[in-house]
Amino acid sequence: MSQSATAPSVDSAAAARAPWRLAILFAVAATASGILLTGVSVWFLGAVALAGLGPAALAFNFHIPAAFVRLFALTKTLGKYGERVVGHRAALLDQVKRRAGLFAAMARAPSTRAAGWQLGHQDRLSDYIDDVEDVDYARLRVGMPALVVVVGVGVLAAATAWLAPLALPPIAILIGAVLLMLRLTLRDLTESGAAARTAQRSGGRLLGAVLAATVPLQAGGDFPSAIDAAFAQFSDAERERLAQRRTFALLDLLAGLAGPLAAISVLVAAWHGGEHGSALLVAAFLAFGWLALAEVAQGLSRIVFGHVREIAARDGLKSWTATAATDVVAPLTPPLTLQTLVLTQVPHQTPDGRKLGEAFDLTLHAGKPTMLVGASGAGKTTLLKQIAGWIADDRHGRYTGNSVVLLGPCRRAMSHLCLHDAAILSDTVRDNLFAPNATDAECWEALEAVEIADRIATAGGLDAWISQDMLSLGEAQRLNLARTWLATAPMVLLDEPTEHLDTVQASRILNRLLERMANRVVIYSSHNADAGHGSVRVAIGA
Amino acid sequence: MADGGPPSSDTAANLVANSGAKPGANSGALPLARTLGARALRTTLTWQSLRMVCRLGFAAALAVFAGAMIESDTFIWPAFAGAIGGLILSSGAGYWADMQVADAEAKLVNALRARLKDRLAAMPAARVATRPVGALIAGLQRHPPALASLIISHAAARTMLAIAPLAAAVTIAIVSWQAAATLLLAIPVMIMFFVLLGSVVRGRAEAQEAAFGRLAAQFADRIRSLPTILANHALASEHDKIERRMTGYADSTMAVLKPAFLNAGIIDFFSALAIAVLAVFLGLGHLGLVHIPGFTGLVLWQSLFILIIAADFFTPFRRYAEQYHVKSEGEAAAKELDWYFAAGAATAATRFVPAGIEDFDAASLPPTGLIAISGPSGAGKSTMLRVLAGIDAPLPKFDALLDALPAIQARGCDWVSTDIYVPAGPLADAIAWHLDDIDPAAIRKTAERVGLLDENLLPGGLVARINDGGDNLSGGQRMRIGIARILLSDRIVLADEPTAKLDPKTAKLVRDVLIEAANQRLVIVATHDDQLIEAANRKIVLRPPTQNQAAA
Repeated sequence: MSQSATAPSVDSAAAARAPWRLAILFAVAATASGILLTGVSVWFLGAVALAGLGPAALAFNFHIPAAFVRLFALTKTLGKYGERVVGHRAALLDQVKRRAGLFAAMARAPSTRAAGWQLGHQDRLSDYIDDVEDVDYARLRVGMPALVVVVGVGVLAAATAWLAPLALPPIAILIGAVLLMLRLTLRDLTESGAAARTAQRSGGRLLGAVLAATVPLQAGGDFPSAIDAAFAQFSDAERERLAQRRTFALLDLLAGLAGPLAAISVLVAAWHGGEHGSALLVAAFLAFGWLALAEVAQGLSRIVFGHVREIAARDGLKSWTATAATDVVAPLTPPLTLQTLVLTQVPHQTPDGRKLGEAFDLTLHAGKPTMLVGASGAGKTTLLKQIAGWIADDRHGRYTGNSVVLLGPCRRAMSHLCLHDAAILSDTVRDNLFAPNATDAECWEALEAVEIADRIATAGGLDAWISQDMLSLGEAQRLNLARTWLATAPMVLLDEPTEHLDTVQASRILNRLLERMANRVVIYSSHNADAGHGSVRVAIGA
Repeated sequence: MADGGPPSSDTAANLVANSGAKPGANSGALPLARTLGARALRTTLTWQSLRMVCRLGFAAALAVFAGAMIESDTFIWPAFAGAIGGLILSSGAGYWADMQVADAEAKLVNALRARLKDRLAAMPAARVATRPVGALIAGLQRHPPALASLIISHAAARTMLAIAPLAAAVTIAIVSWQAAATLLLAIPVMIMFFVLLGSVVRGRAEAQEAAFGRLAAQFADRIRSLPTILANHALASEHDKIERRMTGYADSTMAVLKPAFLNAGIIDFFSALAIAVLAVFLGLGHLGLVHIPGFTGLVLWQSLFILIIAADFFTPFRRYAEQYHVKSEGEAAAKELDWYFAAGAATAATRFVPAGIEDFDAASLPPTGLIAISGPSGAGKSTMLRVLAGIDAPLPKFDALLDALPAIQARGCDWVSTDIYVPAGPLADAIAWHLDDIDPAAIRKTAERVGLLDENLLPGGLVARINDGGDNLSGGQRMRIGIARILLSDRIVLADEPTAKLDPKTAKLVRDVLIEAANQRLVIVATHDDQLIEAANRKIVLRPPTQNQAAA
């Protein structure tokens, strides 16, 4: 299966499987010990009871079975502990690998560069993380326990076939009934699960739209009825979830009946097979083994639940990464400096590619910052992303830098794009500046330039840990501008750099930035036509 | 793997967060949920107790059946029937108990959400705005189920922990009180172990707290900030960092999980040990080699009886241990939901009476006309508009504004701004969203008047599809929907910066419609737009107060 894989990945795959093997070994040992502990105890009691009745009592060597009983008690406990520890260790190791891979796949998906990053919203992000976790722990929740139950049932069924064959038909019927039930319900369970997901998410989306319009809705008196609609969806989701849980209760009922019924079947079959007295002891051993296995199989609904969720989660995750562009990035050597950038026939469009107006023909010079002015929705952000290579080029648009045609990936590599809704990472201030080569002094200079040095100093300096919720919108914007200050790209694109800042401060900071970027091609957008700063102004109309 | 739920990646973090958690105060989400769930919990407990009793009956009958079969070579039909009957009854009761738990939790979730909805509906906009919308939604989706599990599942498991082992011990005492006493003796020893372990887990968890707090959500954080990472060319370094930090997190999680799993290990150990010890003692008793009171002179069914029920003695402990994360998650959810029930609305941080507000003659609002409120940013224009709409608390020391409220409330008002609510669906529904039976022809006429029918960016006219949250609309299109709505209604119009950020053509249209509407009714606008101010019948110019006034 790994013919095409390279040597290191075979090694790492083997390394990833090793802890799982150990975990499964522990799990099987624990379950087997549990079955043996119960079986041997019952056999032992029966044997000594029968021996105690006669003269054999004195001759009975009880030390050996007693030692086995203690041994199984210990291995059961240790096996269970080992299964938990090693299983979680394996799951966590897998998680690190899977998530790192997922992160890379997400980064390739075009939606990350499109307008409005969906996973920037906490509710969507929580849904996404739920999916990631459902897949992360599927092996631990579904694969491993299912394997243990299947192995247990298989071994006991084989033993039954050998020791009490008459009990096989009823046991086969029981197992068949459980499997049939699984088959019959799996589709309903999947459908209810999907319906619950859909209802919960659309309710969330609806509520998001309503809460974003709290003021207008409250003013008009429509706020309560608008939230009603969203909560109705949550109720729908709850109804579907209840249907799921009822089915799970039924599954657990069947699984709970199967073990004890198998035990009784074995005893009755042995009796009818004409076995009596000590000959029945082996059957009793087996019967109580089934009883012990039933304890393990009690988690059936949880296994099925994990399975259903895993399927849904995989689908959910696929929707993010399936569209991943196979963006084969040839080794690029983007120019380190840029004197001019000429835009010819670059389409004037909305984020989703609808035409807004005449195509742009623009010439941008280093040292002559260009300001894009226009109403909201006029296409300023889209134009910046087009220039930055974040939006796929059409056939006509052409970008020429220093007389060389620059394609999207190249422009992406040579530009610094300062997003207006840039995020603050939960990390140190230094790592948030994205300038690994900058010295402390340079970092502080940047923070001074955007007038946030005092705030950072109070928070604990460059190595202080910060997060989005610790900063106000204005502070986050200034920190974002500090990233631009430290950027070395020859092409600098800023989307609404003055947003969330008061007019006077904004113009001070912007002037400093523009002065620093004097030898580069700089384009920025602003919906505020008065924020002149002596730049070349390009009006963009819808 | 029937043991405790596998950890969500924040389980370990919850261990930390809740190691010092205290039961909720007298008012809040937790007591409310307890009250709402009390009856369902009792029903659940009744069924679970019934399951327990039937299960004990099954075990007893099975012991008699198997014991007699082996020892005295007899097939006791009543015992056989008892075992089957007990099994069916206990499974039935168990099924019904599970159904009760599912129903009770679903009902409780709905009841909790209904209360939360009422609180949210009555919440001032300023307080709603203190929390990010995404956090509110994620909380409303996840917290009620987590709390319901705590109130029903966890509480039931806790109560059964008190009842079931005792019932098992009493049943065993019928055969041998010494055996029952042996099992009961295990409880204090187990508890001692739990306490010792608990402090170890807490100690470890505290030591790892920094790792949990910072590293737990690193993956989610990097997914959230993915566009920023791409824009700053930091993909490679962040990828490595995620791998490194998640490995660190995995290590610290394991450091906490190892002792935490010992909890379950102790239960496993005692239940396995009890069976082993009882089996050996009972065996010695049968052989008659040693005389142990309570273990000698029993017949086989009696020792099987003790052995089978001894296993059941420990089941409630295991069930309870499985719920440890339910407890921490439920308590965390309750704490979060307390926000909805907290008394006192959060008001804006700085509230002041702007100078110039006294020019607004609240006592005598004209029936028609245009009132323009202008002034520099931050002077309080929007606040004043919100006070007039009745959605913000009145400004301190300026009750005069209150005089306007009865008149506005009597006539009702329409709010116009770029952040109006636009439901997903066809354009016609978005325009007439809040109006009952409206003439389709009127909608068409209005849509045409505001230029939404020949909009090439929203093709399809009245059936043009609007996305969730209106995210395929520009600010200008939203504003046109807003003014279309006021053309279809006769209420007072409150418009917040209606012409800002619009292209000149749309701005003119909005201005014209507002001025036209002012002929029939009262239109109050907060604006910077000179042309709109020019057209106003009454002009209010607000100024931020001087230092003295602000302090007053």
